[in-house]
Amino acid sequence: MSEYAKPLPRITPDTQPFWDALRERRLILPFCAECGRAHLPPGPVCPFCFSDRLAWRPAAGTGTISTWTVVHKAWFPAFADDVPYNVVQVELDEGPRLTASVVGMPNERLAVGLRVVIDFDHAAAEVTLPRFRPVEAA
Amino acid sequence: MAAFPIRDQAAIAGIGQSEYGRFLPDSQLKLGAKALKAALDDAGLTRADVDGLSIHLGWPLGVDYDRVAESYGLDVRWVSQTWLHGRFVTSAIQQAAMAVACGLANVVACVTAISFTRERQILGGPGDAEGTREDGGTHGESPPYGLTAPAGGAALGMQRYMALYGATSRELAAVPIAFRQHALKSPHAVMKEPLTLESHQSARMVVDPLRLYDCCLITDGAAVALVTSAERARDLKQRPVYVSGMQGLRSGRDEFIFAPRNLGINQQPVARWRPGERDLLAYRMAGIERKDINGLYTYDAFSPLVLFTLERFGFCGPGEAAKWVQNGRIGPGGELPMNTSGGLLSEAHVGGWNSILEIVRQLRGAAGERQIPNARHLQWGTAWGDAVVFRN
Repeated sequence: MSEYAKPLPRITPDTQPFWDALRERRLILPFCAECGRAHLPPGPVCPFCFSDRLAWRPAAGTGTISTWTVVHKAWFPAFADDVPYNVVQVELDEGPRLTASVVGMPNERLAVGLRVVIDFDHAAAEVTLPRFRPVEAA
Repeated sequence: MAAFPIRDQAAIAGIGQSEYGRFLPDSQLKLGAKALKAALDDAGLTRADVDGLSIHLGWPLGVDYDRVAESYGLDVRWVSQTWLHGRFVTSAIQQAAMAVACGLANVVACVTAISFTRERQILGGPGDAEGTREDGGTHGESPPYGLTAPAGGAALGMQRYMALYGATSRELAAVPIAFRQHALKSPHAVMKEPLTLESHQSARMVVDPLRLYDCCLITDGAAVALVTSAERARDLKQRPVYVSGMQGLRSGRDEFIFAPRNLGINQQPVARWRPGERDLLAYRMAGIERKDINGLYTYDAFSPLVLFTLERFGFCGPGEAAKWVQNGRIGPGGELPMNTSGGLLSEAHVGGWNSILEIVRQLRGAAGERQIPNARHLQWGTAWGDAVVFRN
């Protein structure tokens, strides 16, 4: 497990609850207690109304692919064996977008508008990465 | 009309460059020294006249203004430093213009020097501290998922743009093809062969939907522009090229650096955005309208950025740019020539400053067979909303 060669997210006090919950296979988002909106990436204040009153709540884990790409060039040695691999942005049903990847289907099926549901990849001992699957294959 | 006291108060009085190429034997600082000497000679100034430094240094040296001043034996009293990003070209020019207009310096040397090919494996790889820093870099990099190079962000932007508006890779090809046509008329251009639609379409996919020729060159080279007050510039050797109007780069949740405003990348809202008055300040400051622009120059690290720039300044409507650039419209002799020396896609990647030097040559009437007839107002403007309007 400690031999994970790919970059891991750099976790800060603002993002720690997000990554802690993922290790327990839960997706949570920071919601604003004043204006009610959720935001990503997790920040120090509500970016919409500047309130300090943030509260973490579960998200449904479902969303829609808003954009995607397939990487064909091995820029990073640790990803060389994965080429070609996809990276997507998913617009969660709560509104914010999350960058991740889609598993469980060929890259040829990637499309803006595709419905997806979260999956959890226990990539390294200390980090679980969110990934997504197409809804019908979940 | 609002008064804009900085209009036409600063000018580019000299330009110089090193050779542009791949795997050049000279160091980055040596390339910069060549460009600075050429610029001083061009302006009829000496090293002792330079009392300001606005640096936009690149790979792999970083941003050390003091190392630059020490190496070239300068004695400066005003400094601004950015690092090599297209988003900071305008900042570097604007700060130089403001410094000379405010009396903080007499002559500011804007210095860009790049040695990309010395350590090219770093770009987008494990040694790329920019792309792998906290939360990734500015271009949507997401290192845990292997999106580690700036091209990835441009791909995310273009992919959604294509899905929303039906634009195609074949339409996008018109951008690098036009810039190659310009480059074939430029003696400095690294690329010497024509680019056809067929060769664009058959080239390898790099990061879908960007193919090889949608991605800029990785080269070495240096460029220097000397900025001084308009009054001083009029007494020097060359015809002054005035900084006539300008506006800064945009940032906020409505923005993603490699997408039109409100396209829906990262946390952008989704809306068909059109520029309003505050998005077009540079024209108003210069006392002109958009239709008075005789040529447009932009940071073309990836071909979609050219489309997004056209929409940003309202040369066409949202979602229309891919069609708008067809039929030679931005090529040599076109209705709106863009990046007439070939840009980053076909001349060289000198951080965009190769295009700033080309603007100056054009406004001096010294662009040879690339000359835009009666060029009066030329614009530098980027997909992220900043602009400088130059006039002669």
